[in-house]
Amino acid sequence: MNPPRTRYGLHEDVAAVIIGLTTVALALAITWQARPQDDAGNRDRYAKGWPTPAASWIGTPKTWTDSPLTAFQDADGNFDVAPVAVGMAWVVAVGVLGVVLGGRTARTAVLGFVLLAGLTCLAYLLASQKLVTYYNLEYPLWALAVGLFVGNAAGAPRWLSPALVGEFFIKTGLVIFGAEVLGSRLLALGLPGVMTAWIVTPIVLVSTYLFGVHVLRIPSRSLCMTLSADMSVCGVSAAIATGAACRAKKEEISLTIGLSLFFTVIMMVVMPAVIREMGLDPIVGGAWIGGTIDATGAVVAAGESLGSLLGEAAGKQAAEVAATVKMIQNSMIGLVAFAVAAYWAGWIDRDPNAPRSTLITEVWRRFPRFILGFLAASLVCTFLHAAGPEQELWIEGATGGITSKLRGWLFCVGFVCIGLQTNFRELAPMLASGRPVVLYLAGQSLNLALTLAMASLTFGWLFRKVVEP
Amino acid sequence: MKVLSQYAAMLRLTLGAMITTVVWCVLLPRLLDVGPVREHVALMEERGVNPAAMYYTELEQLPLRPVWIEKVIVLWP
Repeated sequence: MNPPRTRYGLHEDVAAVIIGLTTVALALAITWQARPQDDAGNRDRYAKGWPTPAASWIGTPKTWTDSPLTAFQDADGNFDVAPVAVGMAWVVAVGVLGVVLGGRTARTAVLGFVLLAGLTCLAYLLASQKLVTYYNLEYPLWALAVGLFVGNAAGAPRWLSPALVGEFFIKTGLVIFGAEVLGSRLLALGLPGVMTAWIVTPIVLVSTYLFGVHVLRIPSRSLCMTLSADMSVCGVSAAIATGAACRAKKEEISLTIGLSLFFTVIMMVVMPAVIREMGLDPIVGGAWIGGTIDATGAVVAAGESLGSLLGEAAGKQAAEVAATVKMIQNSMIGLVAFAVAAYWAGWIDRDPNAPRSTLITEVWRRFPRFILGFLAASLVCTFLHAAGPEQELWIEGATGGITSKLRGWLFCVGFVCIGLQTNFRELAPMLASGRPVVLYLAGQSLNLALTLAMASLTFGWLFRKVVEP
Repeated sequence: MKVLSQYAAMLRLTLGAMITTVVWCVLLPRLLDVGPVREHVALMEERGVNPAAMYYTELEQLPLRPVWIEKVIVLWP
């Protein structure tokens, strides 16, 4: 469908790495340029990192209750559409740049990118309704829904085809996302945190994958891996990273995200009440929530709900431990994506009839290049983040203020494209078999049991100080 | 035949848009007034939580190591 590539065109992965790493470098430069002149390393003063002027340039529709128009108003009630317009322009710019770097003409795709930017804004608007926001129904779900609805109700027009580069948008978003994946976060809760994240998470990930492939006999290994990573690591963001690393099909990523968000909402509401009924120690309960609920926002929400049930002091402890354990799990995405990409390149995608070559050669030949860009961004930002208190606030300012918003728009448009290209009829057999649901439930049950055991062992007994404050 | 299918597509899109508008602008706002939902939303607003955050960098407050943790837990034995 896409216009043919010229001989000078770059591979999609290389274009994603170039755009992604340039964006990260620019975000770091802009934040550094506007660094505070005094007290630059003061964490209390700059709780979310250095403030950066670019943070207000780009944004998404604000939370609204009954009138979507209020999503585009500032605190004083004046219309302020500029940040959203910049987000839409960013989508068009990345799309055009990707097509040009790919050696194709952008003329036929521009109108398509404009329509995609509009649909992306619509998805964000649906996601920012107050009830939807506070029940953790994240924007990827609505991006998929918007794409699925338009694609299946009316069909994507032919002129839109050159702009339907969802994988490219997601790969570019992932490279930018690498800047937020900081290895230094892994040690935030010392050995108990490392044991909870590094022992339980890989066990659950591998067991669930093997259960799906060998016991449930789900034909698609990539579906098993995407679902396992989503459930054991950190929800939608892990599904995006591992789904791209193992080249999961569009409908497999759609199914995984739908399942994950459905069960996340249930767990977010039910787990705090269960913990209170079980009489669990608040710190153990917090670690249990942090290690099991898929989505980061839902973990914090459940932690706060638990806090309100347990009272001021104990509740605060539970909520803080839950959020920190989840952050440690978040930081594992880089390792998991690298491992999955290497496993797929070296074993799953390997052609048994191809001429024999060394494993390293095979892995290198098939390894998705955008994962290297993702890792490069992650390693550089981890190194800088660990260099000192000022650099820590520099990275946090750049990622929280700029890159997280930019990659959010790219993920959102990527899912709109996936929705537009997914046929309901292709999803139906997967859902009808019920096996993905069984896999999710089995994996999450194992996750719940092992995380509770590990949290009780580490936070409740082994590393617990005898004299409490 | 082609014109008819285009009309059908437009009809499906319009119908979908109308249903979405009713659900998002009428039904969901009313659900916000239901007891447990109202309490949940009020608590999240009071605590400044963004439950829709996909990654920790999107949270209203960065989850750093709690200051009290070393009084209760041995982090590095």
